[in-house]
Amino acid sequence: MQISNYLTHEHRSCDSIFAEAEKAAAAGEWEKAEKSFLDFANETLKHFKKEEEELFPAFEAKTGSTEGPTQVMRFEHEQVRGLIGKMAEAVEKKDRDAYLSLAESMMILLQQHNMKEEQMLYAMCDRVLPPDEKSDLVEKMEKVEL
Amino acid sequence: MFQNSGLSLDQAPPISVVLRFFLAGSLWGIVAGIWLLAQGATALDPSAPQALILTHMLTLGVMLSFMLGALFQMLPVLAGIALKDPVQLAIRSQYPILFGTILLLVAFADPSTPLFALALLLLGIGILPVALRMLGRLYRITDHSPSSRGMGFSLYNLLLLVLIGAWMAGMLGGWINRGDLLALRNLHAGLGLLGWIALLIVSVSFQVIEMFYVTPPYPKNYARWMPALLTGLLSLDFVAALNLPAAMPWIEGLVAASLFTHALLTLHRLYRKERPLNDATVWFWRLGMVALALAMLLWIAGSLTELSPVVDRILAVLYTAFALSVLFAMSYKIVPFLTWFHLNAQGYFTAPMMHEVIHPKTALRHLAIHLATLFVALVAAFNDALWPLVGAMLVLSFSWLAVAIYRAWHLYLHVQRTGERFDFGGS
Repeated sequence: MQISNYLTHEHRSCDSIFAEAEKAAAAGEWEKAEKSFLDFANETLKHFKKEEEELFPAFEAKTGSTEGPTQVMRFEHEQVRGLIGKMAEAVEKKDRDAYLSLAESMMILLQQHNMKEEQMLYAMCDRVLPPDEKSDLVEKMEKVEL
Repeated sequence: MFQNSGLSLDQAPPISVVLRFFLAGSLWGIVAGIWLLAQGATALDPSAPQALILTHMLTLGVMLSFMLGALFQMLPVLAGIALKDPVQLAIRSQYPILFGTILLLVAFADPSTPLFALALLLLGIGILPVALRMLGRLYRITDHSPSSRGMGFSLYNLLLLVLIGAWMAGMLGGWINRGDLLALRNLHAGLGLLGWIALLIVSVSFQVIEMFYVTPPYPKNYARWMPALLTGLLSLDFVAALNLPAAMPWIEGLVAASLFTHALLTLHRLYRKERPLNDATVWFWRLGMVALALAMLLWIAGSLTELSPVVDRILAVLYTAFALSVLFAMSYKIVPFLTWFHLNAQGYFTAPMMHEVIHPKTALRHLAIHLATLFVALVAAFNDALWPLVGAMLVLSFSWLAVAIYRAWHLYLHVQRTGERFDFGGS
């Protein structure tokens, strides 16, 4: 459960930062909203990088599949990146309605994506990768920087 | 490897699959309201066929439609189950269910053996293939979440419930002699209301509450065992119905107690949510859980002692309020999200944001209508003259939702026709 635990924990911590940013935006505290939103964006993008540069290649090498689930996950990462861009614009413009509306889409999109990863992809990784490789992988992911 | 383990991470089914079921469910809600408006208090008299008709409009018509739409959408996400040819499968189940339900309602009003047989045949053709396929795929999953496990149990209870319904129809038609009709009727109702509908909502809440509102998770062991425990108790109920009907109230009392616990746990999670939003969907969930808690308390009381007809009606109103509140909460999340999600995934720059598809104020107004309907229905439990008004308000409530869904669908098609699209390079 090493992979699952490590990456699922990151999902939950991104959720909390997201909620903080949303709270600030809803209250019109834009300075705080901007800071929390940046934190959220950075943490999310770093998490994606860990998956795309370390986890997915390891999984693909083990299963010989490059067009299956990892491809879908990469596509969904792109969708999230697109929304992060739009939310950043809303923060910049201090547009509360746009921000909250985008936040709603972002939350469901992210959760949908997270569910698939947590319930399937991470569980599969934990099953197919040998323990040593998993420890290495977590170590490598720890070192990933944006 | 993914094919072998039955896993796929495919995208959601086409939006039409979900919306066709949601729209059909809303239309059945309008029909149920018209029925209540026309029949008044008779539609709540447990010994009258009018009540049987109202119940089945709300369950087979409303709940089954929304359940199928939601499962088509949620199974790929929750359990990696993408059903092949979802559009075909949806159409092939929706029409038989629609005509089967209509015939069943007619058969309730004017009992005739061939009509019952034809209604059951159509309902079987509509429900069994899709439910068995979903259940079969769920059964093969190796990494279950509490949600996917609970949905599996809920589908299993639905199948059992349909079989018992067929059994009862067989007894009414004189083909089957074994069984106590009253006990089977209680079992059918218990399985339907608790094992199918309530368990389905419990399963959905395991995932949705924590993830959409960012709340603390449900206790792990509780979430893991609750669906199995509930189904196990209802299986005991099944045995009791055939052999020891006197034990049924006790068993159902225990089931009600576990659902009461679930309502409190969910309310507590919502109280501790991290997201600031208090939109209509949060209130629909809160209202639904309060209604469930109160309904289950009355259910427990009813299993210990005979309830007066007034309390029985309050129980029916609260239970219905529970199921409809959650259904509305889910619709106001799913419909705008899917509209945005599909258009965005297809590359339309002009994909509308969720609030542009259904504005939060539209949902809040529906919440007000829903609350007013609940209030009048509770008063109507004491004053029969008010039931037609409740019916009229139910018509308004479901029309509100139907229009919102229709407009989302219309907007979706409009953007597809006129929107500017990012070219994915032939994909």
